[in-house]
Amino acid sequence: MRSFEEIREEMEKFLSLEQFNTNSEDLYDASADRYKKYAKAKGVLDVPCPLAIVYPKTADEVSRILQICNEERINVIARGGKTATEGGLENWCDRTLVLDARFMDQIIKIDTYNSQATVQAGVELQRLEDELRKLGYTTGHSPQSKPVAKYGGLVATRSIGQFSTLYGGIEDMVVGLECVFPDGHIARIKNVPRRSGGPDIRHIVIGNEGTLCYITEVTIKIFRYYPENNQFFGYLVKDVETGVKVLREVIVNGFRPSVARVYSEEDAAQHFYHFHENKCVLLFMAEGPKGIVNATGEAIEEAVEKFQEGVIKKVDSQLIQNWFEHLNWSQKDIDDEVEGMIANDSHAGFTTEISADWETIPQIYSRVIERVRNEFHRAHDITMLGGHSSHSYLNGTNMYFVYNYDIHCAPEDEMMVYHHPIQKIIVEETIKAGGSMCHHHGIGKYRSEWTLDEHGTAYYILEKLKKAYDPNDIMNYGTIFPKEDGIKKYIK
Amino acid sequence: MKIICIVKFVPDVDNIRYDFENNALDRSRVRLILNPDDVCAVSVAFQIKDRNLDTSIEVVTMAPVSVKTYMEDLIRLGADQATILCDKAFAGSDTYATSKVLAAYLEKQSYDLILTGTHAIDGDTSHIPAQVGAWLDLDQISGVTWVDTEGIDKRKAYFKVDKENEVIDFEVKLPAILSLSRESSYKLPYIKRTEIDRDVSQSLTFLNKEDLNISECETGDYGSLTKVVATHTREYQKKECHFVRADEEGIETIFRFLEHKGFIE
Repeated sequence: MRSFEEIREEMEKFLSLEQFNTNSEDLYDASADRYKKYAKAKGVLDVPCPLAIVYPKTADEVSRILQICNEERINVIARGGKTATEGGLENWCDRTLVLDARFMDQIIKIDTYNSQATVQAGVELQRLEDELRKLGYTTGHSPQSKPVAKYGGLVATRSIGQFSTLYGGIEDMVVGLECVFPDGHIARIKNVPRRSGGPDIRHIVIGNEGTLCYITEVTIKIFRYYPENNQFFGYLVKDVETGVKVLREVIVNGFRPSVARVYSEEDAAQHFYHFHENKCVLLFMAEGPKGIVNATGEAIEEAVEKFQEGVIKKVDSQLIQNWFEHLNWSQKDIDDEVEGMIANDSHAGFTTEISADWETIPQIYSRVIERVRNEFHRAHDITMLGGHSSHSYLNGTNMYFVYNYDIHCAPEDEMMVYHHPIQKIIVEETIKAGGSMCHHHGIGKYRSEWTLDEHGTAYYILEKLKKAYDPNDIMNYGTIFPKEDGIKKYIK
Repeated sequence: MKIICIVKFVPDVDNIRYDFENNALDRSRVRLILNPDDVCAVSVAFQIKDRNLDTSIEVVTMAPVSVKTYMEDLIRLGADQATILCDKAFAGSDTYATSKVLAAYLEKQSYDLILTGTHAIDGDTSHIPAQVGAWLDLDQISGVTWVDTEGIDKRKAYFKVDKENEVIDFEVKLPAILSLSRESSYKLPYIKRTEIDRDVSQSLTFLNKEDLNISECETGDYGSLTKVVATHTREYQKKECHFVRADEEGIETIFRFLEHKGFIE
């Protein structure tokens, strides 16, 4: 085994100085993601720092770096916009390189005629969106992390955006891509509208969370943008179940509002302080060509009418629009949050997102709330517990459990004392009911103890992929694929 | 050195929800927190204990059984003992009757220093510390913002009181009652993960009126010198919401609003 200095020397034969970062503050920052945001802000992270952050500029450089790491058994963590929430970017190994996509930042081609755009992994979603808007197009992808998230990370985590009910998740948008495997092989999946050339191999790469390969380039669909036609709808409803019924009615009738959400009263209170009236909030946004928007609007109003017994009143659509236009994080919001955590010994809360069919979602929701209130040993510290459904499909929807609490333990213990026991209840209830424990944040490291429960007999397929593509287990150790030693050290 | 901290658990008023339909506070989900001034009192006690290892700390409260969980946390944080003075007959006590109950317990205890908060965020009369001092014939001072936790011993304590225009240094003979202000910014330590589930029931004591040898007519409504004639829930007006755009007209509207309210001239 060669020393880090020797490895660095070899890499510096094809990398420039600016592509190697060993600044101690940056390495500390690179050792964990938003899962341990509070401990990180307090400077008490309990995981090792990576040896260096490396910024490749081309797929060829990625290939050479990965080959060296593969030979030297150096763990590799692929990094984009740093907005992971489940420990996917956390480091559990003594010898780790973080491969950051910062310098792969070219928008290679915007092709409006064929409705597709090709970007390198380090291109910020917001930057592409801004370029597309100038041409009257949109990515259709709008996660809350939009201003900071980058395409490599979005694809690697199977990200989803706030307009998913119309445009789909990232997996519906990726046309083709380029990625590099640990043995250095560069694979290009070509950009075609559809094909039946065997299994859809895009899906081996999409959502791999850096455990199989490193994504260097992505081609995604782009969509005509009609902001002038946008319509907003908001209602106060008596419970989550009524809201879910209205969402289902709209979707199964064949309509696709871009936004379709229902918030529990607790969650509504923190988002819609100016009009929630301690009730659940149901809201929609319809967008697209005028005819489609009008038809979608009518369908929403009909669905609301059908379940009027549970609908308390309509909300001024201007309020919904105004709220929606200020929803995304910016880097300043993230920086302010860190300052707030340091000063106030508190944070803005945590979430766990799951999915299940229409029938099951309300049952999971009430069972989780009941169990957390009755079984969680620090329930008296909870300051907020609720949730919302924000991504709907023909056969079901998601539930975004949201919770916050007064922290009465050391910052380094917070996740295991508070978040993890709550998340465990959510995961247990979801898997027991046949749902998925991870709707769009990925498995990361902190849900890996339940990966086998999530996939059941199908885990066989995942496990074989890992053995085939990453036989030396150098890609993001502990993420998705459970590692007993890491789980024992950092979770149990 | 033995320190007794008198504490109170109060509704988390910053997070109380208002029911606009019924024009009332929604008390169903009101959480309790340790009164902010009392947080400082307990924190000072812990700091003294950290620096004087032979210190023992007791926290005392007059409260319903429901505060048990919160008192257990104070033991896990470092208190050696917690006592809850709890009896249905105590309900409705004014500050006079409350201080009498507290004093009935304290007069049978040995201590070198009593620490309390100055104000409670739910009542804000600030009577209790002074009244307990009167019952026990102890010196008491409010508004303490700093305590010399290194120099303190069983005979004396140095501390500072922040008045509006000046900070006054004091020395007091002990035993005495020092009442902390939240401006002191003393913070509680964290509970260690290994401690968070520790069974501390052996260190927690419940005492009722019989234990304290107090009769029913001395506490609650009967024993109170003051009576609440009526309470009024503050009526919150829903604010009208106006949206302006980030343009010249919007800026002008905001400017005129601030001018009208007297924020700018």
